[in-house]
Amino acid sequence: MKPLFQLRYRNHVNGWLLVLPAVFMISLFTHYPIGSNLFHSLFSMGTVTRPEVFIGLENYSYLLDDEIFWKVLTNNLIYSMCTVPFSIAIALGMALLINRNIKGRSLVRMAFFTPTVLPMIAVANIWLFFYTPEYGLFDQIFGIFGGDSHNWLGNPDTSLFCLIVMVIWKESGFFMVFYLAALQQLSPELKEAGLMEGSGRWYYFRRVTFPLLMPTTLFVTVNAVVNSFKLVDHLVIMTKGGPDNASSLLLYYIYENAFSFWDTSYAATLTVVLVLILAIITIIQFVVVEKRIHYQ
Amino acid sequence: MKFREFDAEKFIVTTGAWMLGGIWLLPLVFAFWSAFHPAEFSTNFELFAPLTIDNFVRAWSYAPFPRYLLNTFVLVTLILAAQFVLCTLAAYGFARFDFFGKNVVFALVLLQLMIMPEVLLVENYRTISSMGLLDTIPAIGLPYMASAFGIFLLRQSFKSIPKELVEAAQVEGVSAIGILWKVYIPLAKSTYIAYGLVSVSYHWNNFLWPLVVTSSVNSRPLTVGLAIFGAPESGVDWSIITAATVMTMSPLLVAFILFQRQFVQSFMHSGIK
Amino acid sequence: MSSIILKDVCKSWDSTQVLKNINFECKNGNLLVLLGPSGCGKSTTLRLIAGLEIPTSGIVEIDNRDVSNLPPVKRNISMVFQNYALFPHLTVAENILFGLKARRVPKKEQKKRLKDTADLLGLSDFLGRRPAQLSGGQRQRVALGRSIVAQVSVCLMDEPLSNLDAKLRQEMRQEIRALQQRLKMTMIYVTHDQVEAMTIADKIILMKDGEIEQHGTPEDLYNQPATAFTGNFIGNPPMNILTPDSQIMSAFSYLPRSPDSISAYLLGIRPENVEISEDSGIESSVMTTEYLGADSLIVCRSGEQTITLTVKGKADITAGDFLKLDLKPKHIHLFDRESGMRLEDSAWRKAS
Ligand SMILES: Nc1ncnc2c1ncn2[C@@H]1O[C@H](COP(=O)(O)OP(=O)(O)OP(=O)(O)O)[C@@H](O)[C@H]1O
Ligand SMILES: [Mg+2]
Repeated sequence: MKPLFQLRYRNHVNGWLLVLPAVFMISLFTHYPIGSNLFHSLFSMGTVTRPEVFIGLENYSYLLDDEIFWKVLTNNLIYSMCTVPFSIAIALGMALLINRNIKGRSLVRMAFFTPTVLPMIAVANIWLFFYTPEYGLFDQIFGIFGGDSHNWLGNPDTSLFCLIVMVIWKESGFFMVFYLAALQQLSPELKEAGLMEGSGRWYYFRRVTFPLLMPTTLFVTVNAVVNSFKLVDHLVIMTKGGPDNASSLLLYYIYENAFSFWDTSYAATLTVVLVLILAIITIIQFVVVEKRIHYQ
Repeated sequence: MKFREFDAEKFIVTTGAWMLGGIWLLPLVFAFWSAFHPAEFSTNFELFAPLTIDNFVRAWSYAPFPRYLLNTFVLVTLILAAQFVLCTLAAYGFARFDFFGKNVVFALVLLQLMIMPEVLLVENYRTISSMGLLDTIPAIGLPYMASAFGIFLLRQSFKSIPKELVEAAQVEGVSAIGILWKVYIPLAKSTYIAYGLVSVSYHWNNFLWPLVVTSSVNSRPLTVGLAIFGAPESGVDWSIITAATVMTMSPLLVAFILFQRQFVQSFMHSGIK
Repeated sequence: MSSIILKDVCKSWDSTQVLKNINFECKNGNLLVLLGPSGCGKSTTLRLIAGLEIPTSGIVEIDNRDVSNLPPVKRNISMVFQNYALFPHLTVAENILFGLKARRVPKKEQKKRLKDTADLLGLSDFLGRRPAQLSGGQRQRVALGRSIVAQVSVCLMDEPLSNLDAKLRQEMRQEIRALQQRLKMTMIYVTHDQVEAMTIADKIILMKDGEIEQHGTPEDLYNQPATAFTGNFIGNPPMNILTPDSQIMSAFSYLPRSPDSISAYLLGIRPENVEISEDSGIESSVMTTEYLGADSLIVCRSGEQTITLTVKGKADITAGDFLKLDLKPKHIHLFDRESGMRLEDSAWRKAS
């Protein structure tokens, strides 16, 4: 009986041994902090002289009354709602352009993709100068048309949109690659069949290409939305969330609370909100994926 | 004469693609322009403006860029090596063995795809701090070493390996680790390359988490160094900042231009779920 | 009047010429098969007619109208693709109606044509399914439906049956032929399977290396192969192509002989026409025998030559046996040794 027993359990033991190191590390830096965040959000900030004390939901009620939180959350929603559709639409357009047999195609593809491999910090530095009043590229272009000088990043009305434009520039090429991969999987026979049956370019795109790209669009959308909540590097360089939090995003606000104001317990509370948002996105994704029709 | 309407359309498409490509490159061209010209030309586009590398020399002397570069290099290598080991083992476990609770564990691992360590930076800072690792290079790398993305990619690639190959090795008496080493890893080479490129560019560029856990030249990577250097308070000239920026991104940029095809293909590969 | 005419059509990709001076006509209501080995340019020819490729030179005419410069839509033709080109996200009905919707055919007309087509092809029960939920034969029918519903009189097919198993292929080719005759379509059908070609074609064009080897009815190609290549390509098992040696020359006195060279030609004979004889003929030894049910295939060796013959039923012959093989003059085809061209019967039979 012993060999059989061994054989049965060898799989379990081997499997567990193999995944254990990675699972342990992931738990340590993902699952454990999610839990400890929740825990710390229920306590007050401890200081050297005063230990942290349990305050229940006080942090949360403070959060509900925190105007800056609402401001930052709204900003983040605007930011997502602008960057995601625009960068996806541009990415799709780019992929459709590149997928044709045009001259210098690989050069154009490289031009589109390059921003993706650059550090956000470097990109922010370059764009910071574009937006500089008077000397920056934008003001110079506006100057040609007789426009006034603008303090693009210093103006609460424009600062968020300046960041949005930059992020669209940086991310479109990344999403383009996924569309390109998907387009290459489409059989040329389908296109020819459509052509023979008299479908115009737009009709074909609407009825065939776009629906067949739906899984890619879903994948890219989820990625883009998640990115819009977790990528805030540029804020550190360009606006520091300002002026007056006009361009601040949720993760940046968390960062500020934790490492500028040293209010880690409020930062933990904010993190709980961010994790919730990401969890909701995950759930939505699963529901849509479940519902999605499987073609093949 | 032939297919005139088709040709016109192709012309428009080509021109459109070129123009968009040009616009997309503009910021970079601009950065290079101002990095290689004296400050007075940085917004003054004269074709025959004198070229200079003075900006680079000055940036180099103002801040310890060689050290930052070394730190980034060590960091990226460390992370990649650890990721390869941890992800390979885990992916092998998930792909080949049926063990108790496998599906639940795998789902828990995938959670990291959505909730990356930088989102949890407050608590992770606490953890790293309690380990006494603050301001070290391993501190920057630790949260990323077990990567759900890597496990996921490798598991996919392992699962697509024909069963016969594995069974043939089994019949020859190769051990489980031998099979991993001799069958699975060699056959997943392209996945390793793809994942490696994606991971290197991610960590070369990563910023927020390194910013939080580093506080000295000894551990700061390039991105953090550049941010501190370029901060408005530092009062450094714009041309010098762009020179530093160009320096920061050029290793990756050069690699990208040389291996453009592999890069694009790797990102494609990593996106197909 | 839906005839298709190709005049001096050439097609090159970069420096390689794929089609060389293709000339042919497909008459109204005919089914023309383009046949030939892989890579000979069949698909390219079809795609030129469809307008999916543009000829390097030459003219394509449909209905006496030069269509060489027209895009596919304006040529008034339909096409069935090798892999069916069904849209995976659309239902059968949507797939069939795809072209009609694109051309904004009125809803009522669409409905009527869909019903007619579905009835004709026995697809009525599957209209709501997606291609992935259909069998291979059903998918093939949907692809046919797409081309029928357009109600154009010219239909092009590129190896439409190559993804089906042998039995289904036979059924479907009969069905296609019946449909073509019933709807009086002009059809150009590409295949590399000579049996398929022989069974459904009105006319066959046999191609080789971008050139037309022979254009004729299936009987023409079988009985009067214009070249040694045709003789070998058509028929299963293929025609024996022998190089006359001294044994053959002495055994068959009817063979023409010229004083300078005895073997200026190749000798072709179909396996079923090779006869086993008691007394006259060439000596050969049996290499292998294969029993195929209705008949047996016997491969013999005589000198340098390999000769295949078929006999009815199960032959009482085993490997190693010696046979005398008789080649009757009426079954002999002669081909020029250099060019492979057929030597006209009248020429050599008179001479002998
Ligand atoms: N787009 C192309 N570019 C370059 N060469 C091509 C192209 N399409 C076809 N060819 C070449 O033209 C020749 C004829 O191709 P074609 O597809 O017409 O052959 P075919 O007779 O249909 O063969 P098969 O039976 O294998 O389908 C081949 O040698 C092929 O390599
Ligand atoms: Mg073909």
